[in-house]
Amino acid sequence: MPPSSPTKIALIGSPNSGKSLLFNRLTGLNQKVANFPGITVDIGAGRSLVDSSTEYLDFPGVYSLKAISGEEKLAVDSFDKALDTGHLDAVICVVDATRLEKGLIFALQVLEACRRHNMPLLIAANMSDVLELHKIPLDTHGLAAALKVPVLSISGKTGIGLEQIPSAIASATAPTEAYAPTGDIITSDDALVHRQAQQLAKQYGPKGDLLINAQTRLDRFFLHSWVGGISFFVIMYLLFQSIFTWAAPIMDGVESLLQVIADLVLARVPAGMASDFIADAMFGGIGAFLVFVPQIFVLTLVVGMLEDSGYLARAAVICHKPLRVFGLTGKSFIPMLSSVACAIPGVYAARTVDSPCKRWLTYLAIPLMPCSARLPVYTLLIAAFIPAQKALGGLIGWQGLAMFGIYVFGIICALLVTAMVSRSSAELRSDLPFVLEMPPYRLPSWRPLLRNAWNRSKHFVTKAGKVIFIVTVVVWLLGYFPNQGASLGDSWLGTLGKWIEPVFAPFGLDWKYGVAILTSFLAREVFVGTLGTLFGIEDADENFVSLSQQIQDSGLPLSSGAALLVFFAIALQCVSTLAVMAKETGSWRLPTQLFVSYSIFAYLAALLTYQLVELLV
Amino acid sequence: MTLWDLTQGTSATISAFAGSIEAGYRTRLSELGFYPGETIACVMAPSLGAPKLYRVNNTVYSLDDSIASMIEID
Ligand SMILES: Nc1nc2c(ncn2[C@@H]2O[C@H](COP(=O)(O)OP(=O)(O)O)[C@@H](O)[C@H]2O)c(=O)[nH]1
Repeated sequence: MPPSSPTKIALIGSPNSGKSLLFNRLTGLNQKVANFPGITVDIGAGRSLVDSSTEYLDFPGVYSLKAISGEEKLAVDSFDKALDTGHLDAVICVVDATRLEKGLIFALQVLEACRRHNMPLLIAANMSDVLELHKIPLDTHGLAAALKVPVLSISGKTGIGLEQIPSAIASATAPTEAYAPTGDIITSDDALVHRQAQQLAKQYGPKGDLLINAQTRLDRFFLHSWVGGISFFVIMYLLFQSIFTWAAPIMDGVESLLQVIADLVLARVPAGMASDFIADAMFGGIGAFLVFVPQIFVLTLVVGMLEDSGYLARAAVICHKPLRVFGLTGKSFIPMLSSVACAIPGVYAARTVDSPCKRWLTYLAIPLMPCSARLPVYTLLIAAFIPAQKALGGLIGWQGLAMFGIYVFGIICALLVTAMVSRSSAELRSDLPFVLEMPPYRLPSWRPLLRNAWNRSKHFVTKAGKVIFIVTVVVWLLGYFPNQGASLGDSWLGTLGKWIEPVFAPFGLDWKYGVAILTSFLAREVFVGTLGTLFGIEDADENFVSLSQQIQDSGLPLSSGAALLVFFAIALQCVSTLAVMAKETGSWRLPTQLFVSYSIFAYLAALLTYQLVELLV
Repeated sequence: MTLWDLTQGTSATISAFAGSIEAGYRTRLSELGFYPGETIACVMAPSLGAPKLYRVNNTVYSLDDSIASMIEID
């Protein structure tokens, strides 16, 4: 078969049926795997690992082919269109075998759609590893005979049954008759489909409540009024702590490694412009930013782990009532928590907020959540201004406390904004009902999680790294010429910087910070790179002093440092977030509004902070 | 009585939907298994008015008061 026309096989299933994991397993592609209902939305495509003439298409997870919300309608339409245009050769309907009845309600709808389009169908009873573990039988033959389509028992996790998929697909034919067990007239009545699914599940499906009972015991723990509350805070604390304690040794490692490389390289390059460039722009600018990659890796990993374990759905239940006070819903919790790693997955995750008003409000909160791109800036400024001393007899470090404080500040800002905006109109105050599936608790599958964290970090290095590289090179060129780094103040950049100095002068910041802030509107972490490059040029003797030390030595007052922290906590300095938000909302209106208003908000808040600290200190 | 009135560990059969429920939600709830004649168990009723957990078939959903009180039970 020519490579241009592969056999196209659609994967369709309800959220949490394990479709993404199966897709990854079949194609080796790195799609995000998430244990939260509805997270897959774009159609992924990938060639089969065993047979490159087969292409699998991963359709968005939907609960039903009768859509009720806008997003869902898009997803259902995409499937309908694929069936209509004859682009598909077969359909695999993935159902969670441990919850067969629910899966069958959907499978019966798919069966009907395939019958109408004369499309071969295979039903994949997924998660059969769980059934095997608990020795619960599933009668796939009986089910296949009753439905008159092949049914395979598989597991996307352990790989059971996957090798049978190609042959099962090859022999699958389009369902010819609608399923009607009692021989009564075919109706599309919901209740009838229900009865049928129920009968089928009872007859052929797994018996017993074993799985649910274990789940209920855990729910009674995690949602208990005070045990649940305490565990919520402990889990959030551990999440926060892990970013620092687990990532710190790796960060130190990266830093030492960079230093060793810098020494090696610089020893081989004769002094002059080339060596200046390597020292200032390469190691000063880009190196300063690479150090933070481990943190992003760990954060993505831990958030992914929580998501995969099923706990996040419970956290959404716990947070529903409190978040309602701020105009949000429990479903806003997952996008907001993801935004602690990065606002971009947060914006995508906001799709799971089904009420359009609440989703809009969630978008307002997302850019204010303390994302990991702010971390380099926070870490740098805190290291420069807060003494590395312990308080309360060594229990808490001041630096850790300051970091915690600025994180909480971001979250409070987010909640205050949504609380205020949601009260501004009756439409935004209105509530849609909260209905959320509670996925079973699962041990996270490590491989996809690690791969996802790895990809995110790689993406960060390549995407953000490219921007940072270009910016640092431009900054370096402008700062180094026309006088070969002899005097930064008289360079082109210096001239430009003095021009914008008045804007940031009210916080006591000189033009170097002004330039760094300006470049950081591309992406926050560029701030560190730019500042590193600027201090590198200025610093005539090329011994490596950490950037935070250089900031300290430059005599920047505490009030200016605090103003900078507050400015970075609020300002929406991320081109990627704006672009993704524009894509998700279908227009540049909201991103533009947010960009302008958060910039003004950030500026005023920084001004206020500066004045306050000046007064107090 | 509505579904919201169910206490933890008890179950009941759905009798009807409240007249004011939106059609879309009625369809979705039916597809999830909440439809008249079905027996629903309340597996967990957290305190402080948090959404309650209901079990239908072999799946658990959490519903808040605004929707659970629109589902009438016998
Ligand atoms: N035990 C087991 N867990 C699975 C299997 N397939 C997926 N999972 C888990 O089920 C959850 C949801 O999987 P995902 O692929 O994101 O489902 P989707 O929402 O249908 O795309 C994840 O936590 C997976 O690790 C399986 O075959 N066996």
